Amino acid sequence: MKPFDRHARRKLLSHTIAVLSGLTVIAVLYPLVSIIYEAFALGGGVLFQTRFFTAVPPNACSAISCQTVGIGPDIVGTLILIGIASGISVPVGVLAAIFASEYRAKGLGRAISFTADVLTGVPSIIMGAFIYGYFVIYYPTIAYSAYTGGLALSAIMTPIVVRTTEEGLRVVPNSVREAALALGITKWKATLRIVLVAALPAVATGVLLAVMRAAGEAAPLLFTALGSNLYPTGLGHPIGALPLLIYFFALSPYSNQVKVAWGATLFLLLLILIVNIVSRLMIHRMKVRMGGA
Amino acid sequence: MNADPLADTGRPRGYDLEIRQLKARAVAMGEWALGMVHDGWRAFKAGDFTAAQAVLDRGAELDRLDEDIEHATIAFLVLRQPTAGDLRTAAGVLKITTHLDRVGRLGFDMARITAAGPLKGPADLQDVLERMDNAVESMVRQCLEALGHDRADLARELFRRDDEVDQLHRDANRIILRELRSKTSDTPRVAEALLVARHFERIADNACKVGEKTVYALTGQRRSEYLPRHRYMPYALEAPLSTPETTEHPPPG
Amino acid sequence: MLSGDKIRTEHLTAYYGPKPAITDVTLGFAEHAVSAIIGPSGCGKSTLIRCLNRMHETVARTRVEGQVVLDGEDIYQLDPVRVRRRVGMVFQKPNPFVTMSIYNNVSAALRFNGRPSREETDRQVVRSLQQAALWDEVKDRIDAPAVSLSGGQQQRLCIARALAAEPEVLLMDEPCSALDPIATAKIEELIKKLKEEYTVIIVTHNMQQAARVADNTAFMYIGKLIEFGPTEELFERPKESLTEAYITGRFG
Repeated sequence: MKPFDRHARRKLLSHTIAVLSGLTVIAVLYPLVSIIYEAFALGGGVLFQTRFFTAVPPNACSAISCQTVGIGPDIVGTLILIGIASGISVPVGVLAAIFASEYRAKGLGRAISFTADVLTGVPSIIMGAFIYGYFVIYYPTIAYSAYTGGLALSAIMTPIVVRTTEEGLRVVPNSVREAALALGITKWKATLRIVLVAALPAVATGVLLAVMRAAGEAAPLLFTALGSNLYPTGLGHPIGALPLLIYFFALSPYSNQVKVAWGATLFLLLLILIVNIVSRLMIHRMKVRMGGA
Repeated sequence: MNADPLADTGRPRGYDLEIRQLKARAVAMGEWALGMVHDGWRAFKAGDFTAAQAVLDRGAELDRLDEDIEHATIAFLVLRQPTAGDLRTAAGVLKITTHLDRVGRLGFDMARITAAGPLKGPADLQDVLERMDNAVESMVRQCLEALGHDRADLARELFRRDDEVDQLHRDANRIILRELRSKTSDTPRVAEALLVARHFERIADNACKVGEKTVYALTGQRRSEYLPRHRYMPYALEAPLSTPETTEHPPPG
Repeated sequence: MLSGDKIRTEHLTAYYGPKPAITDVTLGFAEHAVSAIIGPSGCGKSTLIRCLNRMHETVARTRVEGQVVLDGEDIYQLDPVRVRRRVGMVFQKPNPFVTMSIYNNVSAALRFNGRPSREETDRQVVRSLQQAALWDEVKDRIDAPAVSLSGGQQQRLCIARALAAEPEVLLMDEPCSALDPIATAKIEELIKKLKEEYTVIIVTHNMQQAARVADNTAFMYIGKLIEFGPTEELFERPKESLTEAYITGRFG
């Protein structure tokens, strides 16, 4: 075969694969783009109603003149639940990751690592069921509340925080630990104030990932936080959240509630997008300030 | 085991060869110098100008050998940065060539002072000078063998032989002084014999020094570590010699 | 072993798992002198100095037998953290804390091990940087990130950081092997000055470096101490044929 033919065939093959790859990218992006498009189309109008972010959700209403109102309580509810969940999962997760990574000689460290790995794959509804079975049933005073809802979300967040923190710690070169120890700094101080600080961008990214995940979960909240259409008056009572609202109202036969659901969907999407972008920028700045390590 | 054990070291492959060559070159220079002594003495003894001239013409080559070895040794030092035995050998070679140069120069000088006609004089003078020549040439050969074949034992033995040459030197001096005092001798030639005897003593001394540097190169020992300290005295103060024809100054005590 | 030894090992054997990396090493290091440890890769020289400040045991499954005596006390009977404050270490690859500025790096030991006043810390930082011959080069950018320095400067920063802890002994594990010749020369000059105040022990694979900076040199081979003595003697007239074979490049 003449060299020219071989060369031409190779080029053809190369171009074919490039085109196929491009097509698969389009195939992957299509669902995402179509979701955003649909959300804008169906929820966009609702979003710009003046009281959308502060008013309570509408009751079932079949009249033509039904008002579509707001999602205020659910925004607050989501924030509270995420707050509680983070307050549990971040310290617990980070400390567990530190133990697993820095005090590795004990087999317990490896057990923690493995457990966190497994738990990240557990469906979130099972987490909800777990919290239901342990807390909702046995502690009737807080049975359906922000507390149990927060617990359920933290059960989802903690394994993620553990895994990403551990990964972040592992990436910190050993020379840093040795340098700190050789200066006569105790191990725990070195770990917390030097090694962990060096891993901070990774930890922050991990927390961000966990928060994003938890913010969008409805299943675990179904039988823990339960949901509510009113502004929360205390943490011991059922509380609403955006994913729950979307779940309930999307299935509603009443068009005003469906519209609210779409509005909430769009809002949640945009919120996630914005928080993502802002956090990444902040983490990038953190990395730059640390010397582009 | 590797096929070539030196392949993994930082040591260049020709290293050992270079050291051996340095020593071989020093030995070659020593042989050249020895030849000048041998022929210089014979020219002087026979009063042969042609032979003497031949020796004088060899001086330039002696200089060239000295310079070449010095150059090669410095290059070895700067490029190989040797340590331990290799360093001692290189440093030793530098000093050894100085001593060998002096040996050659002394032979050169014997040719230089050659006068017309064979050396006349009493038989015992001729005899003692002949014995000095034999002893001294043998010492030079021995120091070269010690250097070329890594024989520290031969090198150390040179010091004992140097003592013998010293004895011969004293004998020669005694005879020469006797001749000078008697009015019947050929004074100029006898005075030259005095020089030649002294040259032989110096050659033996330089051969000893070559031995000393060879011992240092091979073992690292310095002279004081294997030679007892010898306290030198003026000849006149040393114990009297066996023959009665000594000086008019009786030794004290 | 001379009574003038600042720190010495007595029959020291150190293990990684079941295998000993160094065996029965007895070696004394004189005060206010530079001692070098040379030997081929894997001879145990890094393990040896890591035992001198108890860094060896920070690796899993390690064990030490024997003693290391600092000013008459066995450091294995003392608190390891305190030992490491008295015996500092500089590593092969410069390892400044990348998240910190130059100032914070040098003052790290002070800030983490006690809370001296700001003035005291400032003074100590300047002094350490001067001792490490780095002050002039960084005095106008002392809050700049440590990673903005060149390799040689970073290593001097690590030296300053170690000195700021005011150790008595300074261990250096091949401190110049990651640096270019000029940076190396600067650090060698530094080492020769440091011995006025500290006892310096340096591991090096570069024999010429040992010849240049060390007063005494030890040669190790496969975990054992073969020979130890004044540097000039070891390089001109080694006593052991194994030593001679190594330093003339016949193996290793």
